[in-house]
Amino acid sequence: MMTQRIALHLLRRLALLVPLAIGVTVVVFLLASLIPGGPVAALLAGRSTDTATVDAMRAKFHLDDPLALQYWFWLRGLIQGDLGTSIVSGQPVTAAISDRIGTTLVLNLSGVLLALVCGVSLGMFAASRRGSSIDRLVVGGTLALSSAPPFVLAIAGLFVLSFQLGWFPLFGLGNGGFWTTAWHLVLPAIVVAIGPLAFITKITRAAMIDQLDQDYILFLRARGIPARQVMFAHALRNALVPVLTAAGLLFVGLLTGTVFVETVFGLPGLGRLLVTSVQFNDFPVTQGIVLIVAAWIIFTNLIVDLLYAVVDPRVDFAGVAA
Amino acid sequence: MPGPVWLSFVFVGLVIFLALIGPNFAQSPYDQDLFAISLPPSGGHWLGTDELGRDVLARLVTGTKTAILGPFIVAAFGLIVSAVVGIYAGYSGGIVDSLIMRIVDFVVALPGLLIAIVLVSVLGGGYWLAIAVLSFLNVQGDIRIVRGAALKERRLTYVEAARAVGVPPHRVMFWHILPNLIALLAATFAIDFSGALVALAGLAFLGMGAEIGAAEWGSMLAEGQALLFGNPVAAMAPALAIILLAISVNLIGDWIYDRYTGQ
Repeated sequence: MMTQRIALHLLRRLALLVPLAIGVTVVVFLLASLIPGGPVAALLAGRSTDTATVDAMRAKFHLDDPLALQYWFWLRGLIQGDLGTSIVSGQPVTAAISDRIGTTLVLNLSGVLLALVCGVSLGMFAASRRGSSIDRLVVGGTLALSSAPPFVLAIAGLFVLSFQLGWFPLFGLGNGGFWTTAWHLVLPAIVVAIGPLAFITKITRAAMIDQLDQDYILFLRARGIPARQVMFAHALRNALVPVLTAAGLLFVGLLTGTVFVETVFGLPGLGRLLVTSVQFNDFPVTQGIVLIVAAWIIFTNLIVDLLYAVVDPRVDFAGVAA
Repeated sequence: MPGPVWLSFVFVGLVIFLALIGPNFAQSPYDQDLFAISLPPSGGHWLGTDELGRDVLARLVTGTKTAILGPFIVAAFGLIVSAVVGIYAGYSGGIVDSLIMRIVDFVVALPGLLIAIVLVSVLGGGYWLAIAVLSFLNVQGDIRIVRGAALKERRLTYVEAARAVGVPPHRVMFWHILPNLIALLAATFAIDFSGALVALAGLAFLGMGAEIGAAEWGSMLAEGQALLFGNPVAAMAPALAIILLAISVNLIGDWIYDRYTGQ
């Protein structure tokens, strides 16, 4: 029954992906025409030229066709896995993205994991000692850290931990095997995790306090259930729903953080690529990354939505809209 | 009033004071001295100099105005539009409400700053463009908050009483409900302000939004990154300014909100 309901819900969600995908691709396609002067200006990048070259370029990119037809050509390429080539490097966009997506994924996943593990523990700890000086320290700390933007934290971390103390490497991914690369990603991952960690701590603390005030907790305690079991098996389980929502938001929100962290630490990831592509009007690359990001958001929301059912069996799928 | 909140008010006051009269007292933020680049703090340059020998303190003080003007506009836009649209949607309900909320829910689910990075640079960049894009992205969340609050107010007896004696809807919305949401709107304003401060500094940090060479905290931080070996204060000063202002405004916002909800 349960699995059947989830399967049905999944099917409905997947069906809704079709119009969503069409909408996203139209928006991404139109991005190129937002550039002042249009795609030709971006392709020329300020170089002077003659009309014959411009005409040849217009023909090559189907720019004289109606917009709908242009979209169709672009979409056909997209379906065949052809996102065009970068104006700056001449590299195929798919290759440019697949070269860099690994770094960003590792950074994001380790950031979310770090934030969840530390944030939930800290939040629970603070909630169990509500009003104590440790609790107040945690609350103050989360407020300060959630106000600190990632680029400030990145530079502070780089200066103190890498430059002054020499604990971490200064720049890039190094040129070595797996462990060297992993070692270069430690400080960036910590920096990426700090803002989210503050956020998760705050949400967990609030949700736990909310649960610990409920009558069933008092009842469990009165029956002599060990405190540890009350905290983990009962209160935490019920507090997880808002935490899960927050984690989903984070996995999307972290993309912004990685843009800054990759920029400061000189990491070859999607965020850095996005910044350089928009700066040089490299619109095929920008379009490719925006598409990836859109897919990222859509699938994160889908997974979080399904996880609700695992955490809270009472979730009513019939009433859940897209 | 708790100590940290009091300190926050003092700091915000100081920043506003500096934005208004600071540039008159500081040295020129643009004068270069190529024989005195990346110097640590000294009697002549309290915060040292940057990579072109410009006085860091002068640039920090001059940047104050840019730093608070943009966030102020974004937050003010959010305040006014969310008060009108949010209260209208929450009070009237119906098709208009669900249409507005569809758009709002969609935009809120997007990573705002990432959209801003793409939109601002694709459209050609600039401080005012960045403010416009952030204003649009920021107002959506405000509408959701104000609409929720208006929905709650609508069920209260004072609204029922006003309607019963025949007060027209627009008067109920903006003469009866609005005054009850002032504290909520003020808290939202503060949170918007610190969010926009960080977002605009972030855009400037990436080289979008601020003009090249402008005395702007985010750009100063980006330029300061290269100076960490010579004059680390050049990076630390704008970083501290951004963090302290964001924390202060957040603390004030939280304080107003807690008073409003009576917690």
